Amino acid sequence: MKLLLSASLLGLIATAAVAEDKTLTISVYGVSQDAYKEALYAPFEAKCGCKLVIEMGNSSERLAKLEANAAKPVVDVIAFSDANALEAAGKDLIQPVDPAKLPSLADAYEFARDPVGGNMAVGYTFYGTSIVYDSDVIDGVDSWLDLFSDELKGQVALPNVSTTQGPLALQMIETALGSDDPKFGKAIDMVAQHRDDIVTFYEKGGQIPQLMQQGEIAVSVIGRFGWANLLKTVPSARWATPKEGQSGGMNVLSIVKGAHDPELAHQFIDYWLSAEVQQKLAEGQVDSPVNQKVTVSDEIAEGLSYGPEMAAAIRFLPAKSTLENRDAWLEAWNAKVAQ
Amino acid sequence: MFQDRRLGLALLAPATLFILLGFLLPVAILLSGAFQTPEGWGFSSFTEFFAKPLHREVFWRTFRLGLYVTAISAVIGYAVALSIVDASDKRKGQLVATLVLPLMISPVARTYAWVVILGKTGIVNQFLTGTGILDTPARILFSETAIFIGLIQLFFPLMVLPLISALENLPRDVVPAARMLGANWLQVFWKVILPLTREGLVVGGTLVFVGSLTAYVTPAILGGSKVLMLETLLYQRVSVANDFAAAGVIAVILIVMSIVTNVVLKRLATRKGGK
Amino acid sequence: MRLAGQTILFLVLAFLIGPFILICVAGLSGGETLAFPPEGLSLRWVARVFEVESFRATFAVSITLGIGATLLALLIGVPAAYGLERYNPPGANVIRNVLSSPIIVPGIIVGLALLRHLVIPLGVGILPALFIGHTALLIPYAVRIVSGSLVNLRVDIEEAAVLLGASRLQSFTKVVLPNIRNGIMAAFIIGFITSFNQVPVSLFLTGPGVSTLPIDMMAYMEFNYDPSIAALSGLLALMSLVIVLVAEKLLGLSRYV
Repeated sequence: MKLLLSASLLGLIATAAVAEDKTLTISVYGVSQDAYKEALYAPFEAKCGCKLVIEMGNSSERLAKLEANAAKPVVDVIAFSDANALEAAGKDLIQPVDPAKLPSLADAYEFARDPVGGNMAVGYTFYGTSIVYDSDVIDGVDSWLDLFSDELKGQVALPNVSTTQGPLALQMIETALGSDDPKFGKAIDMVAQHRDDIVTFYEKGGQIPQLMQQGEIAVSVIGRFGWANLLKTVPSARWATPKEGQSGGMNVLSIVKGAHDPELAHQFIDYWLSAEVQQKLAEGQVDSPVNQKVTVSDEIAEGLSYGPEMAAAIRFLPAKSTLENRDAWLEAWNAKVAQ
Repeated sequence: MFQDRRLGLALLAPATLFILLGFLLPVAILLSGAFQTPEGWGFSSFTEFFAKPLHREVFWRTFRLGLYVTAISAVIGYAVALSIVDASDKRKGQLVATLVLPLMISPVARTYAWVVILGKTGIVNQFLTGTGILDTPARILFSETAIFIGLIQLFFPLMVLPLISALENLPRDVVPAARMLGANWLQVFWKVILPLTREGLVVGGTLVFVGSLTAYVTPAILGGSKVLMLETLLYQRVSVANDFAAAGVIAVILIVMSIVTNVVLKRLATRKGGK
Repeated sequence: MRLAGQTILFLVLAFLIGPFILICVAGLSGGETLAFPPEGLSLRWVARVFEVESFRATFAVSITLGIGATLLALLIGVPAAYGLERYNPPGANVIRNVLSSPIIVPGIIVGLALLRHLVIPLGVGILPALFIGHTALLIPYAVRIVSGSLVNLRVDIEEAAVLLGASRLQSFTKVVLPNIRNGIMAAFIIGFITSFNQVPVSLFLTGPGVSTLPIDMMAYMEFNYDPSIAALSGLLALMSLVIVLVAEKLLGLSRYV
């Protein structure tokens, strides 16, 4: 019995010791991790002779964790939305990147090089957000307001306001209702009115493929980065092109303040932005590239939000607007929708 | 031989200190946060918390579901316990083991089984639509009903086991005596069995009610973010908004409810003594 | 009357065990997604369970945690039970309540409290914090079950041993321990399984690279709706089942529950 006790204690200590070897802790969205492993993590680990420790989850949770651990940061590099980055910068949770250490950055689209100012973040992908539906169940979706139609009652899952996609969906609904109120007042009222017809407000986009596959829902709103997975799980899924257009966002990488190896962090970010990795991710239909050197066939481009024209067509929600209005959205949502 | 009470204290010291320092202290600090306001000590966090209709609804829902689960468990629990007590010794051991078995399985596994069963393509809906009772599959997941079913399956054994214990301790001749005096089964149950097994009911009731209040996995998976219970609300408030004030308030509410349940049910049990 | 009772019993047992058997069968599915009835039977998802790296890593964490926390809980819990039962020291009732307190505090609060007031301010690592949390959770079980055994052990046996020349320590190790051995084993098994399946405490206490198996299973399910979770659940349940059956045979475990 005593032997077992010592053995377990030794085991605990050993695990702690191993963690001291060269590691880089990254915090990322949970989608497409298998593809990322192949295109990014494994090759990088081989190149640097280090180990990547990966934290996954939705960005609000990961940002909250970042804040909670601010005194002793656990994460080195974090991938989240541009609005998250702006907020993190304001809370002094991230540090500027040094563009000189990121040669791949020169190949990126102009708008991805310094999206939130002060070199606090670099864009690694951009995406459109639109409605997706199961064509076996639903004929088609023409407008964002169709989400609230009788035909789709009880089959819709919308993103929770706390997710990145939530405000993006609200923005389009507000536009469809003929208003450009940045507080999304009308959109939130609309959602509140129909709340009983909505199946659930998802917290993690990765749940959508399984919900649709199981028949729990037939319609949802997701970002393009989740499209490949959805199509794989639900071959009858379709990406709608509603008449009001699509919204979208940009995901960025930042270095956490107090990261224990900023050099390694820069190397990792540079590798993620490199043509090599961005090409693989694009071909796997995982993420739309920001690296202009990436070229893909038309067929693959179909599956991505690809190219400068596409970027121009998406109604991005400016990060600044998100930061300014988020409290108002949360208030209104909690008061009207959540109950 | 055991008069050296100090030695007794020494034996108790490691465990007690461990719990005090490593457990009660951090928890107490967390809970005290619920009583702190910008002006010093006060209850304003609580009033703020209950001012939001969402929070009131979550509180009420958690309490309500806890009551339903406990009540139904008690009724069916007695039926099951009475059947088991009647069985032969060997069967009894097997039946009890069957009851204990679910307790040993991870709640994650048990809850996901329900996702498969209650989903729109699950067997419940397959049965309902297949036999023509329903035209289209019913929505069962992401609702209070789903949580209720999940919770009952989780906690039912915790009600039955103490009841079995209590029934076993009934003097053998009490029930036959009552029957001989002309009581029917309902009267026997209500006036004889129930009062005498009250203690078992209290233990079972406490375990089930408190368990339901503090369940996390089942409401998280079967309820989703539309149907929140106190624990899933707590998790959401902390992980998304770093709202530790709300976390502290919910923590205090849960602990107070646990203690009150304990105390109230104990009082009910010992109030009338034996008849 | 008896028939009604038997029927209810049968239905209830089906309700309790049924879903679980279903998930085991679903784990043997040959299809792509988690469904019942499964499309064909195959062991491929069972095999896949062993390939997923995070399952292996978190399984190791959960096992280490389970064994370690239970051992520590017993190490300090058995003397505590003995002290309480035999010595009746001053403040025994207060101490009993303190030792039982982890049961009434919801796990999620324990995890949060340890994170906020132990891990962050004092820099205690996540794994040690999990260890502390789990041990604290298991102490009430250890004390209660072992106390139950001690109550049934007659005091005069120990007194006789001392009278016959044994030291107090010898009397404890050679007389008391062997007789409460069953209670200790029962406490170990129940403690281990409780720790292994524990979710709420570990919710806040996980970090990149450190997680327990049940939490990892939940995270996995959020993105992958395939039968590997069902297969894993089945395997874990098999493990629990074996432990419980062996315990029931050897010790008559039902007496302690």
